[in-house]
Amino acid sequence: MPRFDYVRAGSVHEALKLLAEPGLASRPLAGGTDVLVYVRHEKPPFDRLIDISRVPEMKVVERRGDEIIIGGAVTFTEAAESALLQQVAGCLVEACLTVGGPAIRNAGTLAGNVVNAAACADSLPPLVCLDMVAHLRSLAGERSLLVSELIQGANRTGLQPGELLTHFSFPIPPTGVRHAFTKLGRRNAQAISRLSMAAMGRLDDHGRADFVRLSPGAAMPTPRRFGEVEGLLLGQAPTDELLAAAGAKTAEVMIAVTGRRWSTEYKEVAIQALAERTLRRALVG
Amino acid sequence: MLIEFILNHKPVAVEAPADITLLTLLRDYLNLTGAKEGCSVGECGACSVIMDGRLVNSCLVLAPQAGGSEIITIEGVRGPDGGPNDMQENFITYGAVQCGICIPGMVVAGEALLLHNPHPTRAEIRTALAGNLCRCTGYQQIVDAIEATARGRTVDL
Repeated sequence: MPRFDYVRAGSVHEALKLLAEPGLASRPLAGGTDVLVYVRHEKPPFDRLIDISRVPEMKVVERRGDEIIIGGAVTFTEAAESALLQQVAGCLVEACLTVGGPAIRNAGTLAGNVVNAAACADSLPPLVCLDMVAHLRSLAGERSLLVSELIQGANRTGLQPGELLTHFSFPIPPTGVRHAFTKLGRRNAQAISRLSMAAMGRLDDHGRADFVRLSPGAAMPTPRRFGEVEGLLLGQAPTDELLAAAGAKTAEVMIAVTGRRWSTEYKEVAIQALAERTLRRALVG
Repeated sequence: MLIEFILNHKPVAVEAPADITLLTLLRDYLNLTGAKEGCSVGECGACSVIMDGRLVNSCLVLAPQAGGSEIITIEGVRGPDGGPNDMQENFITYGAVQCGICIPGMVVAGEALLLHNPHPTRAEIRTALAGNLCRCTGYQQIVDAIEATARGRTVDL
C-alpha cells in the first residue's frame, strides 16, 4: 500500500478543490526539494500530494501596471532567467542563483521556499527587501499579506489548511535603484546560508541616499527589513564611517531580537561586515 | 498507478506506487541502474537525470511527477552506434573516471549544460557541476572532458 496518494492539478481552482476535500489530509507538491526529503525521513503527515508544479497560472512572471507578478510555482532557475526580474529584482535573481546547485534550482520554487519557511531560505531576504506580497487563495476566498508577515517563525507560516500560495506581487522599484545580495556559506555551492543579506539603494544628485532597504537572512527566526539601519542611511552620503556604523547597527538590531546565542560570537562580526559590504554595493556600486 | 512518459526517446508505461521517487522507479521498476542513490536528499547529484531539458535530482522527483515528461538518463546518452558518445569518450581520454559512482550524474550534468549553453567557459562548467560531488578526481579532469566535448561539437558543425 502506498503511504500516500498523488493527484496532479490542472488549475488553481482544481488544486483548491482537491486541497479542501474532506476526510483527506492533502498537501501541495511543487518542486519536491523539501517535500521529498520530508517524505523520506518521517511518516508523511498527509494522505495525498496535490501536484501544482505545472499549473499554468502559477508559472507566470509578468508586469501588471506598476506591479510584477510572480507565480508560486516559478522555479529558482526560471526566476533567475527572467529578463523582467533581471531588470527590476536584481537581488532576487542573485539570490536564486545561490540556491543549492543547478538541479535544485531547476525544481525548487519560490512559493515552496516561502512556505517551508526555513530561517536560512535564500529567497527570503530579497523577497522581504522587495516588499513582496504573498497571495493566498482557498475556496473561501483570497487574502494577501507581506511575506514578512506570512512567516511566523522557523518553519512556521500563517498559511491555513486549504490555502494555497498562488502568486506573489511587488511594486516595481523606482528607476535607478541598485540591488545587491550576499551569502555566506561553507562552500560556494550546495551550501546552507550561515548568513545572507539583500540590499537596495539609490543616491540622489547630491550623493545622498534617497532609497535604502536592507533585509538580512539566516539571522533571525522571522525575516524583516531593518528599518533602523535604513533610517540611519536615508538622506546621508554613504561614507566609509556611515557604512561601518550601519554594519554595527545591523548587528545590534539582530542581537536585540535573538539575544546572545551559541552562534552570536561569529554572527555579530560576520553580519557587520556583510551589511557594510552589501549596502556599499547597493549604494556606491 | 500507471505512469506514462518518454524515457530515453521511447514512450513507456509503468505500473508503480504513487509514493516512490523517480530514482526508485528508474532503478527498481525499469531496471535502469545508471542513476545512483548516493545521499537521497539532493546533495550529491549521483541520481541526476534530464527532465524536460533540465537537470534534476531524480531522488527528489516523485515518480508520478514524471508522467507526461521527457526523461533522459545516462542509458539514453550514447553514440550513434550505441557505444559511448563523444562526452563519454572524453571522460575516458581525460582520465575523468576513477571509482565511477558519480560519473553517470557527471555526464548527464555535462549534457544538460551543453543543451542550454554549447560554448561554456570553465567557470560555467564548474557552476553546472556544482550539485555533483566527486570524491576521487578533484573535478579537474571532469571539467577538461566537458570542455573538450563542447569544443569538439563546435568544430563538428
